[in-house]
Amino acid sequence: MKRRSGPAALLGALLAACGPPVRPAIPFRVEQTAVGSVTRLTLIAPPGFKVNARLPPALELPDGHVVHFAGAELTVDSAYYAIPPTAIIAGAGAPVRGTLRASVCAVDERYCRSVVIRL
Amino acid sequence: MKLSLAYWALAVSLGAANRPAPAWKNDSWLNTSIPITLESLKGRVTLLNFWVFTCYNCTNTVPSLVDFDHKFREKGLTLIGIHTPEFPPYGGEHDKGNVQRALQKYHIEYPIAQDNDSRTWKLFGIQYWPSFVLIDKKGNIRYEGYGEFHLNDATYKVWEQRIRELLAE
Repeated sequence: MKRRSGPAALLGALLAACGPPVRPAIPFRVEQTAVGSVTRLTLIAPPGFKVNARLPPALELPDGHVVHFAGAELTVDSAYYAIPPTAIIAGAGAPVRGTLRASVCAVDERYCRSVVIRL
Repeated sequence: MKLSLAYWALAVSLGAANRPAPAWKNDSWLNTSIPITLESLKGRVTLLNFWVFTCYNCTNTVPSLVDFDHKFREKGLTLIGIHTPEFPPYGGEHDKGNVQRALQKYHIEYPIAQDNDSRTWKLFGIQYWPSFVLIDKKGNIRYEGYGEFHLNDATYKVWEQRIRELLAE
């Protein structure tokens, strides 16, 4: 077996010690806006993050129903939302409760992860 | 050695390791008539790719994996895709027909395990889509990493070199 030496060995040792970093939670937020008799939910990504449009965010309501988000505008490659995606929930006034799932990617990174937000 | 931030980020996403690979036990497979076990791969180098067809970073990387499969299968590499959904079944990622359509769309001929309960994902401690685990002929994990790469880019060349290294052992 060929062994590495010098800088390559140093880098290898560092990598073995590091492993994949555990990423901190991403501060996504959900705006709830009453519009007549419905509530519009808008998923706001923090700067530097984008939301996967191939797997639209979904809100699991306490009664078991699932509401999918949608966006009017996508990025050129159709992979991400160019503007924050929204969902409409019947009823207005009371805060919407449920579990929101989204697939998100950092703009300057090359991988995706899931976020779960409890409303 | 001077490491730029970008180089460091690349390096951290391509880590080295040396420990026995855990045995996956997926029941549902595509592109193979029988489930492929770790035990059956002794004597071959194995590259596991954790992916899902709804992940753009994952499908962008597929051409490189197809290239590895064509280039190294006869030389002793087995490429296996571990298809792990992000969402519950309502997202459509659990559906075998949807996965099959993705295999056709991206010209994937290597075996794919459906990991609908994320058991294999958790077994390997994976965090991101796409991720990669390179296993040597003795069944040891030697390299791990994550992140999209493209044909002949720097990361592609790192993985290619690693595959060649393990094939030569």
